[in-house]
Amino acid sequence: MTSDRDRTDPGRAEKSHESAVSTIPDGGTVNTPFDVVSEYEETRRDRLKKLYDTYVYAPISIIKRDWRARIGFAIVLLYVFTATVGVYLIEPTHVTEGPGLAKPFETWEYPLGTDDMGRDLLSSTVHSTSEILKMILSGGLFTVTLGTTVGALAGYKGGVVDTVLSSITDVFINLPGLPTVMVLALMLPITGNPYLIGVLLTITAWGGLARAIRSQVLTLRQEPFVEAARSMGVPSYEIVFKDIVPHLMPFVVINLTNAARRVIFSAAGLYFLGVLPFRNHNWGVTLNLAYSGGAHYKTGALHWFLMPMIAITGISIGLILLGQSLDRVFNPRVRARHEKKLAESQLDEVEPEDDDSETMIGAA
Amino acid sequence: MTTSQSTYLDDPTANDPVMEIRNATVRFGMERGESRVLDDVSIDLERNEIFGVVGESGSGKSMLASALLDAVVEPGVLDGSITYRPQSGEPVDVLELNKNELRQFRWEEVAMVFQGAMSSFNPVRKIDTHFIETLTSHDYDVDEGMERARQLISDLYMDPERVLDSYPHELSGGMKQRTLIALSLILEPDVLVMDEPTAALDLLMQRSIVSLIEEIKEEYDLTILFITHDLPLVADLADRIAVMYAFEFIELGPTAEILQHASHPYTRLLLKSTPNLASPIEAMRPIEGSAPDPVNVPSGCSFHLRCPLADEQCVDVDPRAYPVGDGGDHVANCHYWEDAPETIPMTEEWDVEGIDAIDSAPGPSRADGPLVSLEDVEVHFEKEGGFLDFFSDPDTVQAVDGISLDIYENDVVVLVGESGCGKTTFGKTAVGLQEPTAGSVKYKGQDIWDLKRTGGDGSMSFDAVRRALQIVHQDPGSALNAHRRVGTSLEVPLKRWNPELDGNDRKSRIVSLLEHVGMAPAEDYIDRYPHQLSGGEQQRVALIRAMLMNPDLILADEPVSALDVSLRVEMMDLMIELQEQFDTSYLFVSHDLSNARYIAEKTGGRIGVVYLGELVEIGRPEEIIHDPQHPYTQALRWATPELDFEGGGMGGESPVRNIDVPDPTNPPSGCRYHTRCPEAREVCTTEHPEPREASAADFHEAACFRTDERHEYWQSPSITDD
Ligand code: SF4
Ligand code: SF4
Repeated sequence: MTSDRDRTDPGRAEKSHESAVSTIPDGGTVNTPFDVVSEYEETRRDRLKKLYDTYVYAPISIIKRDWRARIGFAIVLLYVFTATVGVYLIEPTHVTEGPGLAKPFETWEYPLGTDDMGRDLLSSTVHSTSEILKMILSGGLFTVTLGTTVGALAGYKGGVVDTVLSSITDVFINLPGLPTVMVLALMLPITGNPYLIGVLLTITAWGGLARAIRSQVLTLRQEPFVEAARSMGVPSYEIVFKDIVPHLMPFVVINLTNAARRVIFSAAGLYFLGVLPFRNHNWGVTLNLAYSGGAHYKTGALHWFLMPMIAITGISIGLILLGQSLDRVFNPRVRARHEKKLAESQLDEVEPEDDDSETMIGAA
Repeated sequence: MTTSQSTYLDDPTANDPVMEIRNATVRFGMERGESRVLDDVSIDLERNEIFGVVGESGSGKSMLASALLDAVVEPGVLDGSITYRPQSGEPVDVLELNKNELRQFRWEEVAMVFQGAMSSFNPVRKIDTHFIETLTSHDYDVDEGMERARQLISDLYMDPERVLDSYPHELSGGMKQRTLIALSLILEPDVLVMDEPTAALDLLMQRSIVSLIEEIKEEYDLTILFITHDLPLVADLADRIAVMYAFEFIELGPTAEILQHASHPYTRLLLKSTPNLASPIEAMRPIEGSAPDPVNVPSGCSFHLRCPLADEQCVDVDPRAYPVGDGGDHVANCHYWEDAPETIPMTEEWDVEGIDAIDSAPGPSRADGPLVSLEDVEVHFEKEGGFLDFFSDPDTVQAVDGISLDIYENDVVVLVGESGCGKTTFGKTAVGLQEPTAGSVKYKGQDIWDLKRTGGDGSMSFDAVRRALQIVHQDPGSALNAHRRVGTSLEVPLKRWNPELDGNDRKSRIVSLLEHVGMAPAEDYIDRYPHQLSGGEQQRVALIRAMLMNPDLILADEPVSALDVSLRVEMMDLMIELQEQFDTSYLFVSHDLSNARYIAEKTGGRIGVVYLGELVEIGRPEEIIHDPQHPYTQALRWATPELDFEGGGMGGESPVRNIDVPDPTNPPSGCRYHTRCPEAREVCTTEHPEPREASAADFHEAACFRTDERHEYWQSPSITDD
């Protein structure tokens, strides 16, 4: 055996990962690995660097390579920029600021035209953005948090917990969406708080997500890695949120963007119907005013409708693109390829997608 | 087999190839460079032979199958020439065929059986639809074809009416695979390419199918190319064997030649690394190193990085095929083929030092009473009734039915049995992951489910039990959370059970363990995701994770069956070594008697044989392998392929009367094995045998009336002549 070793190429030890069992010292005489004391030093800097790599660098570099993500991100960022910085650049408008129903691009003072009372449409669109974004944020997060938590717990725990949570879910699923929202909007003292409106608009939406998540968790909980965690005595909530939910993230993100779009559409719709309380103008309210102002039959007033509609469609498309592309961020295979530190050390590594001719054929 | 072998050799007209493959090369262009997944392979497939191709995963053996059918998936590019010579008519250049001709060629001339029978059938269509569709799409006469289908199915020992009228999911794995073979033969091809056709099946079923393949081949005049990773399996079947390594053939010859005079170092090492029942366990050795990456195949001889004989010439010059022996039909691609048998002897006295540590296995210490004690454990699952199925009683699957077993400290018990026999369920019950529906599971005398519900008498907490009983899963890929890095996964047990450690302590402990099991540099491995590890490495991580809990008993559920043959011995050695260091007991679950024997013999453990939820025989490996008392154990013993270096044939007739396992929702009355047992008599159908002492040896028990000389069984009439 020893002579065999001498004849081998010295470079091979590094090359082969599998070879090293023979290097285990014989017998268990000396150190069991349990006695090891700290010799591994990782400074805070290293740790921060790793965190940066995982949570900032890798996602960004993944997103950079995907055109959907780039466009989606650009659109959403534009809206956020408008809502935060834009409001300082463009003065709020007021009645009779300009001539009534000025056409877009007629004068540079009112690039998008004005409404029948002479309000600048650009300014009113810009100034309602932040309110809408707040609604989207609260509505989306509410749906996803509640839906995922309830669904995952019901699916993982089973038994009584499942029965109770599933019944509640079913109740919410079966509430008639729009009427409920309208009634609640009238009954509750919301007074135009955008966060509360966001939640209100999605009050019936989380049930569907919870149910979908539950059924996926039912399959995932049978997976060996979950069983392994259970056998290690990991508490249930940790298993649910650290082991199971990460596997559902692509699905959750798609639902997040869908919920956000739902918020915009319902908000615009309900403002248009005049059901929701409001303090300031927003896209839905503008639509309502345009309608009651007769913009759909008056020639030369069409832009009054178009401005809010473009604003709504734009963010909706941005969210769709973003949702579709973000699932790659959660894919460990894709992530791993984009992490700086590993990227270098892996040049000699067999990539999983193409390592094995067997799998390709098997799939064919 | 030997006879057909020699006739083929002596027959001068044998040189009648049905397929000629010349310089077949498959290339894939990839980001990292060009990868050759088949490298200049030339071979003649003789008419009516069974040609075995053996290789580990990633050796390019499946690519060879695709190349034969010109079915290489995009963006792979196939070069070379492949000629098919039908019995009558002109030779066909396969690579020149157009789409339509190729479609015809693929089923009517050369048919293929893949490994996953599951995905080959459309789950919402009945089996007969598959046959009819195949016939009509190739313009065959349906009535005539279906007649043939019925014949084929009954030749494969199944009931044609029942099979044809079922949906795919209603058939067991073995039946599906046989149905697939029937389907591939429906258009009467001349050549059958089988790519791991039995890999997903149990040994007994594998072995039964292999003997069916021989029958079918005779009856339908077939030429068979049998691709597998399992050398012993194909050794029983094939006339010639080719061994693939790094995308090319490295040795080729008649089966007996390969087994007795293997001349390529890789073949020899592969033979040695394959667990089997005959050779002494000390002779089984892993092959060091791993198979090369298709992008980066070593220069010269592709095996030189792992070859104990390698020298400069091997690095510089790619060895040609050297003829071995006088026959001229055995070739090996190795410069030093003459030296290989001497340097790598098959059965030799190994320098004893290396194995010393393992020989001195402490063995179970029975003094303190059992560590885990299972008594009359039953696990019954209710099968969901169908939709609107309110009135019929739900079917109960009796996964485990009354098994008792004591596991001691430092003990090793290996459970073997066919899939679906309940061995895994029983294992999970033993480590407290499955609650039994009856019977008790005690850890150090405490009933663990009582403990969980009531808190017991306070002397022990359920947490302690949870910590003491761990599991290592069969498929290491899914046992690790794909979203977590190795380091994070390994931190879980430490965070939970060693809260006194800070981040750096945890890391260093993990690093040292990783290095200990041969994953160096560990700092690099810590940051990897599971998909960046090989199967063997994943399994090591899973094993370490269990070990970090410092458990008393580990359930290892088929821990090596997902690994390549050459890595299995290495993995088992590692587990045994860790057992000694960590003072744990193992409950192994395996469907492979040779692996079971390897582990049990090395650790002084026991083997338990499980059939349909019952423990039918248990004992030391010496008894189970060499003196099995239960007819079922004897059948498993028969089914375990042996590398017969003397070149004998298959070990006689199949000892089971019925290939398929009975339905576990409705197990047979009396002795559950009576439907398949070759020794069954009248009394076996009504009376249930209890386990009793089976021989003079310690701990050897079997549940069969034949172990009792005074039992009425001996007067009872036989029921086997049906
Ligand atoms: S050619 Fe050299 S490296 Fe290759 S198998 Fe033969 S001795 Fe080993
Ligand atoms: S009891 Fe009868 S049927 Fe059962 S194994 Fe023994 S001989 Fe066979």
